[in-house]
Amino acid sequence: MLAKVHRWLPIALVAATALWLRTHDLAVRSMHADEANQAVKLGALLEHGVYEFDPVDHHGPTLYYASLPIAWLRGEQSLAALSESTVRLVPALSGTLSVLLLFFFAAASGRWAAVAAAAFLAIAPASVYYSRYFVQETSLLAFFLATVVCTQRWWRSGNWRWALGAGIGAGLMQATKASAPLFLSAALIALWVVRTNSFKTTRPKRDLAVFLGAFFLSAALFYSSFGTHFTGLSDAFSTYSPASGRVTEGSGHEKPWFYFLSLFGWQRSGGLLWQQLLFSGFALVGALVALRHSQPFLRGTLIYTILVGIALSVTPYKTPWHVIHLVPGLAVLAAGALAAIPFRSVAIVLAAFVILSQWRQTNLAVFLRPADVRNPYAYVHSSPDVRKVRGLAESALAKSPQGAIRVISEEYWPLPWYFRGLDQVGYWSLPPDDCDGALIIASAANTDAVRSRLRGRYRESFLGLRPGFICTVFTVETP
Amino acid sequence: MILKKLSLVLAVSVLTAGAQAQAPVPLQLELPKPLFAGTPRPISLPNLEAPRAGKRPDLMVPAGTVNLSKGKTVTSSDSLPVIGELSYITDGDKSGTDGTYVELGPTPQWVQIDLGAKAKVAAIAIWHFHSQARVYHDVVVQVSDDKDFKTGVTTIYNNDDDNSSKLGKGKDLAYIENFEGRLLDAKGAVGRYVRLYSNGNTSDELNHYCEVEVHGALVK
Repeated sequence: MLAKVHRWLPIALVAATALWLRTHDLAVRSMHADEANQAVKLGALLEHGVYEFDPVDHHGPTLYYASLPIAWLRGEQSLAALSESTVRLVPALSGTLSVLLLFFFAAASGRWAAVAAAAFLAIAPASVYYSRYFVQETSLLAFFLATVVCTQRWWRSGNWRWALGAGIGAGLMQATKASAPLFLSAALIALWVVRTNSFKTTRPKRDLAVFLGAFFLSAALFYSSFGTHFTGLSDAFSTYSPASGRVTEGSGHEKPWFYFLSLFGWQRSGGLLWQQLLFSGFALVGALVALRHSQPFLRGTLIYTILVGIALSVTPYKTPWHVIHLVPGLAVLAAGALAAIPFRSVAIVLAAFVILSQWRQTNLAVFLRPADVRNPYAYVHSSPDVRKVRGLAESALAKSPQGAIRVISEEYWPLPWYFRGLDQVGYWSLPPDDCDGALIIASAANTDAVRSRLRGRYRESFLGLRPGFICTVFTVETP
Repeated sequence: MILKKLSLVLAVSVLTAGAQAQAPVPLQLELPKPLFAGTPRPISLPNLEAPRAGKRPDLMVPAGTVNLSKGKTVTSSDSLPVIGELSYITDGDKSGTDGTYVELGPTPQWVQIDLGAKAKVAAIAIWHFHSQARVYHDVVVQVSDDKDFKTGVTTIYNNDDDNSSKLGKGKDLAYIENFEGRLLDAKGAVGRYVRLYSNGNTSDELNHYCEVEVHGALVK
């Protein structure tokens, strides 16, 4: 019994820490435009039971469907009832699951190294930050790691059930985001390069059929909205056309090739220091260990991480949440470097330093400055000011119950999230003829035109949609 | 007689029906729904205020007015700023670049300049932060001879229109920060101390100061 506790306690502690970091005070950050947009779509699914995959502006369906049971369990049956914490729980649980899956994956390099790798992923700033963010990336990573672990087990055991698990994992990846093939291809290449022996199965064709069947079935279930929207199946393919256009052209999200590397380096922004040098340094040493010693597992991880790193770096379209796909590989490499140290006590002390250094960054990024423009993970983030709009709307409607709330701005997300449940809200990108209402929020670009069309008397104030994007708030002036 | 009564009832009924037809009803507005779009692009708007033609109108001050705050001691509700030093507020550097501003924590915060002696204040110029278009909320500027600002307080600027800072409702207009700073007419308010409040800004919940200049003359 004691041996079992000794065996499982470290990873249990790591998982508990990962869960706490990912679920504590989930509403501390205002909603990003992307989160709000997806949460409103989730609200429609929750209220009407209807979801149709949008191949142009949205990723796959799994995030929305996975959020349903959590919302039900928390007693939230409508968009109006949904909370930030509820919608962010799916990424939080996916992020925690990823930590456990990385442990099982890295067990190939020894138990101590696996625990260290899991701990590094658990505490990594980007991983924690985007595990508290209602976008698809963390779920995609969790499904990828599940696919890899199942494949690893299938390779060693030859049991077709692992092929089934891998197929489901890969199918869920595809149903999460169209970029799934990139990660699967990189993993396949890495596996092909470092394989030292053949797989155990005696019926590879059967297992391949099981894998493919599970892959297509699980992806099709989600894209067809569980058999209620079959156009979603063709849309799952047609999504590659707009997606490839965005990815190759950048669509306003162009960044230099070294952007993702820089997130693991050292940068000072407006007096705040962002660095992961200790973690990156050990990952680099781990890469050298992988190259110099015959360690197929570490080499495979290195090849995968380099391939994904190159693919992400050469793509003009870069958003910071993609970086989470590099963290597990770097965590395994850093743990590999520490495991290569002959004195375990020294390795443990060094690992503690890495964790402490990473924790300082995570605390700054996730809890102290979660929406700060200087935070490299807070990308085009909504200002904390957006939280004021609900109070403004309720106050305005209390004075003019029949009045309209008009948002007249070329960009207005995440405001629809904060106005959820109010049915007197309208959105215009250009000023309509009638601009009057109980509350009018106009972008700076539209303010003069809106002001000239108002017939009533209004008081003006300012509200930040996000850093650099200021709106004018018109509230009815009371005598 | 009966006919007359019936006519009256009929007339009242018609009038009531007419009044009911004209009773106000809620206006049913059909409002456009939000459109779903992709991740917003990073934008950079250095200054949202329409550029003014010509230079800022002169503020007339008494002859002999000097900058009284240069190098003077600054205290704050946030005594240990995470970024910068309180001394930056009166060091004469208003460039606004990294390392020239002080960052105070979230929630309402104040900074206070001790002019060293009682002074007649003619004008106050404030630079919160001007490397990005933003508006600071609930800006209140007061002058007093009481370092605790409990007595003899003169408020020379207040844009806290909902009294969220509990200093009284202000009617001054909020403004977008720019390199010129905000020039306030202190109208000869007398006091040794100048206190400036703010409550976050349109970009974040923090409070910043590059520089504050208090112009006036010491009272002899």
